[in-house]
Amino acid sequence: MTTKGRYSFFVEPAAIAGSDRPRRFLEAFAAVLAHGNYALPLDVYARLSAKCSRCAAACQLYQTTGDPRDIPCRRSDLLLRVYRRYFTTAGVTRARLFGGFELTDEYLDRMAEEYYRCTACRRCKATCPMGIDHGLVTHLARWLLAEIDVIPKALLVAVREQLEGVGNTSAIPVPGLKDTCEFLEEELRDLFSVEVRFPFDVEGAEYVFFPAVSDYLLEADTLMGNAAVMHVTGGSWTIGTGNYDGINYGLFYSDRMMERIARKVVDEVHRLKGRKVLVGECGHATRSAWFIPAFCGPDAPPVVNCMEYAHQMLEAGRLPLRRELFEERVTYHDPCNIARTGRITEQPREILRAICRDFVEMTPNRAENYCCGGGGGTVSIDEIRAFRTGPLGKRKADQIRETGAKFVVSPCANCKKQLREVCADNGLDDVTVVGLHDLILKVIDFSAAGATVPAGSACAGSVD
Amino acid sequence: MLEAWTDVLRGPVFRAALTFAVLGLVRHAVITLWEMRRMLARAGDKRVPYRQVLAATARWLVPLGSVRQRLPYSLTTLTFHAAIIVVPIFLAGHVALVRAGVGWSWPAIGPGLADALTIVAVVTALLLLLQRAGARDTRTLSRFQDYALPALIALPFASGFLVAHPAWNPFAFDLMLFVHVAAADVVLVLMPVTKLSHMVLLPTTQMVSELGWHFPPDGRRLVGVALARGERPI
Repeated sequence: MTTKGRYSFFVEPAAIAGSDRPRRFLEAFAAVLAHGNYALPLDVYARLSAKCSRCAAACQLYQTTGDPRDIPCRRSDLLLRVYRRYFTTAGVTRARLFGGFELTDEYLDRMAEEYYRCTACRRCKATCPMGIDHGLVTHLARWLLAEIDVIPKALLVAVREQLEGVGNTSAIPVPGLKDTCEFLEEELRDLFSVEVRFPFDVEGAEYVFFPAVSDYLLEADTLMGNAAVMHVTGGSWTIGTGNYDGINYGLFYSDRMMERIARKVVDEVHRLKGRKVLVGECGHATRSAWFIPAFCGPDAPPVVNCMEYAHQMLEAGRLPLRRELFEERVTYHDPCNIARTGRITEQPREILRAICRDFVEMTPNRAENYCCGGGGGTVSIDEIRAFRTGPLGKRKADQIRETGAKFVVSPCANCKKQLREVCADNGLDDVTVVGLHDLILKVIDFSAAGATVPAGSACAGSVD
Repeated sequence: MLEAWTDVLRGPVFRAALTFAVLGLVRHAVITLWEMRRMLARAGDKRVPYRQVLAATARWLVPLGSVRQRLPYSLTTLTFHAAIIVVPIFLAGHVALVRAGVGWSWPAIGPGLADALTIVAVVTALLLLLQRAGARDTRTLSRFQDYALPALIALPFASGFLVAHPAWNPFAFDLMLFVHVAAADVVLVLMPVTKLSHMVLLPTTQMVSELGWHFPPDGRRLVGVALARGERPI
């Protein structure tokens, strides 16, 4: 059963049940402040916010709507106001003496609505002179709301399926996974006359592969590209049938869920005695995985994004490419979760320059990129599509249009879905959104690759 | 009468206000640095991109490269800050007062430069107010203090200029001196208790924001236990 009308997004009835939501919210806030590292940032932000509106200038949503609700500082103030009033001596004293702000049900509803208008892309953080990370505030506010069950149903249902159901967010059972991979192996055979395997449950592999599980439904070319790269580079990898989903919607609404989902990834790597986590083309899955050392300690398996792997192989001369380059004009969309802090910006570009004849940049790009408009889990909330492809996504549509590109490379499952909808809803019908490995697949030189696979390599495994 | 009040304001009240300001700001700095150290000690992942954070901190301390956005406002606030920092510390009259009071001294700026910077301080403070009121987004965001503080800060500079130039002063000298010390005292007292505390906290904010993402290893489990939600179905 769902409820809509209270918010722009569907929620389950528990989200609006009970008359004591403010009290429960404050209890959750107290618990999180006591057991986390959020207290000092909130205190500093509450103290220093200068209301200069530089964040507004950077926010693509505010640039499009001009709605004061969408000014990041104003949105962050919704939570900071609660923090100041209830969790600082000055705030409590002032309230006792002069009355004033009290947390109400209506205020919580306003927070819910506004914190899900933000994609937490953190573009605003880079332009704030006080270094206020409004994305951190959005992240925290959503967790607190989640502890009073205010969660977009789309995200909640996916996580429930992942942690209590089939075991992944798309409810793909293992036979379905294996059927899909078998089909992809046949495709690769038909297209390239090559025997590429999707290896399952190989023990001791270097990489255990975690794409966004929706790739198995939607992104055949990306997956074939992933497998082809591992094949030609002699990579030691496997897919674990215990867990094959890198998606982590906990990043979008609950640190508790984020940890549980991340631990499932680590458990699978340990089960297979694997050495590293290989994340597929997914921005938030990569960023969530980067939290694994925080949850599981410094000895947790290292996390490698598949583009980092492909780039390493390219640099080492182990990724053989045909001389014919991809001819059409290509541009690159930086997924916020891997680009905002500058961690993965150059690797995909160097690959694209090696495989494309006509690569053009969007402006701005890299750490200053615009969000696709579907970040922070909003892409999964179908009922807000018009908002996502309009106010949130218009900036991106304009950027794509300006490049004149026919292909947008977007190495993130969520960005791909969002950008396809952005293009469809903004008249960019001749633009195709693809993954990076989709293009790599088209130019790999299978014949130049050592067709022999190193002895004992995980590639020797196969679909049952 | 006014003279007696002025003596009080520039004597014990000034000393109290300055002490309050310094102790308050030092308290902020100490507490913040202490808590930052605790955050890092608690963090499950202690790998911090120090170079990136320090580079961002340095960039924002003297934000010449960041003026592109809202260019008029950015240029105004940059020159405003330069003026209000240089004049109170390096004005010859103030240096002489400090020397007479506690024996410390340092180089002073010439009267011409002091006059120019003082005028810049007052003009940019007023411009900040006008720009804040003139732009829709800042108008929506601004609280009383966002207008009051620049106006209040302009007062000691305007009154100080008139005190230093009696020939141009349309008001009584005593009154201007009173306003000068009274306004300065108020600004000092407000330093630790308003956003003016950014004068000591700004160098910490980039690191604070970075550390906010470094979660303690068992934090989430403990939150689940505290709220009795850890074992609940999703």
